[in-house]
Amino acid sequence: MIGEISHFLSLSAVVILSLILIFNFFFFFGKIHPNQLSLSIRLFNQACWLVFISFAMYVYLAINDDFSIAYIASHSNSQLPIFYKISSIWSAHEGSMFLWTVFLTAWSIFFINSLDDSHFLKKTTLLMVSLIILGFLLFLLLTSNPFERVLPFGAIEGADINPVLQDPALAIHPPMLYLGYVGFVISFSYITAYLFHGNFELEWEKDIKNWSLVAWIFLTIGIALGSWWAYYELGWGGYWFWDPVENVALMPWLAATAFMHSLYASSKSSVLKTWTMFLGILIFALSLFGAFIVRSGIIDSVHSFANDPQRGLYLLIFSGLITLLALGVFAYRIPSLNASKFVVSGSKESFLSMNNILMVTSIFSIFLGVTYPLIIEAINGEKVSIGPPYYNTIFTPLVLITAIFIMASVDSLWQRSKPIKSYVYKTFFPVILSILFTYFVWHITETFSILSYIGIFSGSLILFTYLLRVLNNFFYKKFINKGSAVAHIGLGLLFLAVSLNSILSYEKNLNLAPGESIFVNESIKEFSFDDIKVLKASNHDVISVEVSLLQDGKNIFLNPQKRKYATRGQITTESSIYTSILKDTYLTIGDQLENGSWTFALKINYFIKWIWFSASLMVMGMLITIFKKIAT
Amino acid sequence: MNKSLRFLIVLVPIIIFTFFANVLLIEEDEKFSKFTTKNFPPFELNDLNGIPVKNEHLDGIKLVNVWASWCITCLVEHPFLTKLSDANIQIVGLNYKDSNIKASAWLQKHGNPYILTIYDPRGDLAFDLGVTGAPESYLVIDNQVVAHIQGEMTPKKWETIFHPLIKKASNKT
Repeated sequence: MIGEISHFLSLSAVVILSLILIFNFFFFFGKIHPNQLSLSIRLFNQACWLVFISFAMYVYLAINDDFSIAYIASHSNSQLPIFYKISSIWSAHEGSMFLWTVFLTAWSIFFINSLDDSHFLKKTTLLMVSLIILGFLLFLLLTSNPFERVLPFGAIEGADINPVLQDPALAIHPPMLYLGYVGFVISFSYITAYLFHGNFELEWEKDIKNWSLVAWIFLTIGIALGSWWAYYELGWGGYWFWDPVENVALMPWLAATAFMHSLYASSKSSVLKTWTMFLGILIFALSLFGAFIVRSGIIDSVHSFANDPQRGLYLLIFSGLITLLALGVFAYRIPSLNASKFVVSGSKESFLSMNNILMVTSIFSIFLGVTYPLIIEAINGEKVSIGPPYYNTIFTPLVLITAIFIMASVDSLWQRSKPIKSYVYKTFFPVILSILFTYFVWHITETFSILSYIGIFSGSLILFTYLLRVLNNFFYKKFINKGSAVAHIGLGLLFLAVSLNSILSYEKNLNLAPGESIFVNESIKEFSFDDIKVLKASNHDVISVEVSLLQDGKNIFLNPQKRKYATRGQITTESSIYTSILKDTYLTIGDQLENGSWTFALKINYFIKWIWFSASLMVMGMLITIFKKIAT
Repeated sequence: MNKSLRFLIVLVPIIIFTFFANVLLIEEDEKFSKFTTKNFPPFELNDLNGIPVKNEHLDGIKLVNVWASWCITCLVEHPFLTKLSDANIQIVGLNYKDSNIKASAWLQKHGNPYILTIYDPRGDLAFDLGVTGAPESYLVIDNQVVAHIQGEMTPKKWETIFHPLIKKASNKT
């Protein structure tokens, strides 16, 4: 019964949203009615609340194990803790789409109600978000209905959540990521509304600035959490794999980062307005594209949901129409937008527009990497795959150019250029320090890879530029933009950590019988396989291995496991990680060989935790920026 | 220049969307035609009553259906399987990660469309067969797996994928 009510509420939201669109469409041709806006707002709020209540009821159903609902029965289980019963909702396609729609609704209702009733864009923005929410609700109900019942008999027990998803990081990763993705519906709808409105004298940046910053934070946390989960739970042993689904998350992130910078410039000096609007539209268009790639099953990936061409086609048509609508108005309005002054070379704006160009180049490169296999397959039926070498080669030069521009732009001025001499003076120390640092790394490691060293140089260039500014601020009280400094130090550290990780890390495949111990290398003098046990847990069997290492004069105990889950028969690898400041010692067990010995994969990952640390620095920088804005 | 730029901004997305629509529509047609025939893996298992089942039981035209009492979709496809067995299609059940008490009770409650059910509590045969979950159906002709359907067996899938192959095979003999 509750299931039906929940279903009915979602359907009612569809009806109300359609009503808003229909009657506003008719009024569009006639005179504006005085109550038109207030009625639209009321209906809109009601529709949003219907979606929320519907979702809350669905959560209630999941907690109370209503296995007559097909989706809950195939993804949850009565034995699960409540936390995972709830997170099982977004462990597969239908429920995660529901969550996506709920977040979309939440962002929209907050944003619409934050605008004054007299705001010149309120009505058009409201219509845009209504259209988008309606599109996703219809997608949910028509092609991926989570409310479907199994009649006449419900299941007695659920089929259980996929064991690799029973993890706190993964329970939070999708909500964070979705909050980020759909958060940019605000900038998208608002900019489209602004372009429709057509009066470009009016201010618009400040209304969406903080919303976009917050959405950026969620997106960053979502991506970082996903990468962390893949590292320690999936047993992949790395942090980024250029998997298609990672790529479709990275594209909106890059667009959003460019948008942030561009918005900053256009709120200061009205140039780059065209760029900013384009980027604002692009972010959400890329989010929609990502949703399409993941949900249509068009590309094989760890994240692919069940393939269903019907879903793919719906999403493709819907996101295509929405994107074309926005880009069409944008293209139509470009001539009237372009009235602003040209950019002075060497000014801050010129560097920021370089930044935009670099970011869009990166997005394009990733886009090419994602679609290239499909294009080749369409042309001659061959299967090719695009891997890390492609991305590494493309990104390393981009990283270097970015670093140089960041270094140069730090001291640049709005709308004015500065004499070359002052740049030479300001960049002298960072460049020298970075060269020294790169040499130092080479001296210690004695390995050489041109791409990684470019990465190290670029990272340290950004890092030293900002560290010197922090020192200047500390001793001479020179002005510093704190949020920006923290975020860019994060970026520098990220480049450094990634590059150092790629040259220093190594992997050993070992092969030992229980009780045996061997010498691995100078750092790991002893690797002993102490014990192996077979244990029984409530819903899985465990092969648990105890290993002790003598690493750098210290004794380390590791306990990797293999689990076989009863309900799904799935085998998962539980890696065991020992973390020190510089490196992670990462151990997983493989298979038993015929002579009774076991294979081990031992990975020494340098600076890997620093990658997530630098991501959190970026988030912190953004938080500082937001709070500073609220405070002033 | 400005005009062509404006034109491009609209044209490029249109090209991209048409391309993806194309890929999407082609894939649907080709998905099932790419299956390569393989031997049914050798196995030594019992049926639900403990009587040994051998590969010889899979001679002739057989539909192997992977099911379990905990699987809900199996219940959904059950009426259609019953219809098939009434139409003299020989269906061999592969009871997947289940207990035979529950499985037998399930068959008693809902009816038994299977000529025999292989009892595979650990999922060994299912693993060799490449089963990803229940339900799944395989068309086996003379110990050769010739086609495969993941998920619920529907009349449409039966008509488009399995039925033509069965026709072809029975015409030969």
